[in-house]
Amino acid sequence: MTTILRYMDLYRYFVAQRFKILMEYRLNFYIGTISTAVQQAAALAAIWVVMRQVPSLNGWSFYEVLLVYGLLTMGESITHMFADNLWTVGWNYVRSGDFDRFLVRPIDPLFHLLADRFCQDGIGNFIAGAVLVGAAMQALGIAFTPLRIAYLLVTVISGGVIFIALNLLTATSVFWIMESIPVTQMVFTMNEFAKYPLSIYNAGIRILLTWIIPYGFVSFYPASYLLGRDVGPLAFLSPVVAGVALLISYRVWLFGLRHYSGTGS
Amino acid sequence: MTALWRSFRRSVDIYAALGAMAAKARLAYNWWVWADFVMTIVSMIVFVYFWRAVYAGTASLGGLALTQTITYILLARILAPLIETRMIFSFGYMIRTGQVAVEMTRPVDPQLRISVESLAEAGVFLVQRLPIFLIAWGFFGLALPADPALWVVFLVSLLLGLGVILLFDWCFACLAFYVTETWGLSVVRIAVAAFFGGTLVPLAMMPDWLQSLAVAMPFAQGLAVPISFLSGMASLADAPRVWLVQLAWIVGLLVASRLIFSVAVRKVTVQGG
Repeated sequence: MTTILRYMDLYRYFVAQRFKILMEYRLNFYIGTISTAVQQAAALAAIWVVMRQVPSLNGWSFYEVLLVYGLLTMGESITHMFADNLWTVGWNYVRSGDFDRFLVRPIDPLFHLLADRFCQDGIGNFIAGAVLVGAAMQALGIAFTPLRIAYLLVTVISGGVIFIALNLLTATSVFWIMESIPVTQMVFTMNEFAKYPLSIYNAGIRILLTWIIPYGFVSFYPASYLLGRDVGPLAFLSPVVAGVALLISYRVWLFGLRHYSGTGS
Repeated sequence: MTALWRSFRRSVDIYAALGAMAAKARLAYNWWVWADFVMTIVSMIVFVYFWRAVYAGTASLGGLALTQTITYILLARILAPLIETRMIFSFGYMIRTGQVAVEMTRPVDPQLRISVESLAEAGVFLVQRLPIFLIAWGFFGLALPADPALWVVFLVSLLLGLGVILLFDWCFACLAFYVTETWGLSVVRIAVAAFFGGTLVPLAMMPDWLQSLAVAMPFAQGLAVPISFLSGMASLADAPRVWLVQLAWIVGLLVASRLIFSVAVRKVTVQGG
């Protein structure tokens, strides 16, 4: 317990330092934040252009699709804000030799890696996702009861953890090939599927996105539950899936760390 | 006369060598090529299922049938990286590291150098895309025209379109001399290009006001316009008019880019002198 408190304290300190840097370049901070929101706007505009002309996407209305999309965006924004260094670990830390610095410090190297850079670019995504979820629920007449708010909270955190776990798992490849972005990219790109209701795909893709690369638990299953569509116990499995995925990924990371031998020699 | 010819030959040699180097650098990154391959296949699968679901309730959308839309979207997914470039990010990097000072003193024109390199990379990219092209044709229902003339028209239009994009990017990248957050700007640039260039939705499906916006921007010239020849949205008879419009863009942007760069480059101050 005391270690957790100490680490939380440390994290606050890291983020405070980071914000001091960011606020030195205020314009940059705002451009970075807005840029990712513009990216979402383009994708959403495309969905709007199409869906204003058809009644539904496989029985899902425009706002129902927005809910799926919004939940996915929120989950993704969490890894973007808190774990963006899992993308840059290769070229920014391992190849430059900076990673060795973490190994001689008296704190966990993974914690140090993540805390080293809070990424402001995810804030725009988070806001965009929250607005989407809010607007969709408003338009669909789904009231914000305390129970639903709690469900949303658990969903978004679980979604973020699923994203982080998959990025952590693939980032571990850095210990063998000195670069991890391509490997991470290959798995991360699967989240594209979960931007739309999984019911539009065939069974193979649905199983892949549910049990192997579980992005379905970030968006589709929670959204189905909120919309009153029956998906059985899958509606409540997101936190379990997130926990298991994180545990596996962390194990693999530790295994990779033992095989790390630095870039020299 | 021979002196002029010799200096011309020398320039061709220099730029050809630069183009070859850029092509080799692109081929060197094996893992990246695979990641790119997977990403493209995934996005193609997503889009095919998405459009099938959309067309489940309607036979025609914006005047396009399902096979036309699928062909258009698959080609757009395959070629999208050509217009989703981030030259401003490289400019920002060049300025931040002071590399720009070295660029200025080199005896080659930086704009011509970067253009040649980009076109060489685009050539390699197109060849690398062949497997994906075949997969799309074999498995995802890419329906292509048999008339070779349409392919020639497409390739010419694509080349002109790439010129338009390169010249526009050069103007946009000059912002890097004024603003230091170039990553964010490059993200905005890519998002706007993706939407208005027609990589996400065929422009014909957009409401009129969005279509006029798309026409006023250069991005469609690099993607939607060339692809329209292969997806049956434009015919051979349209070719001369399309080429003229693209040439007009090139001439306008060429003048603008030279002007903007010569003004913007004066802003640069490299640390340490």
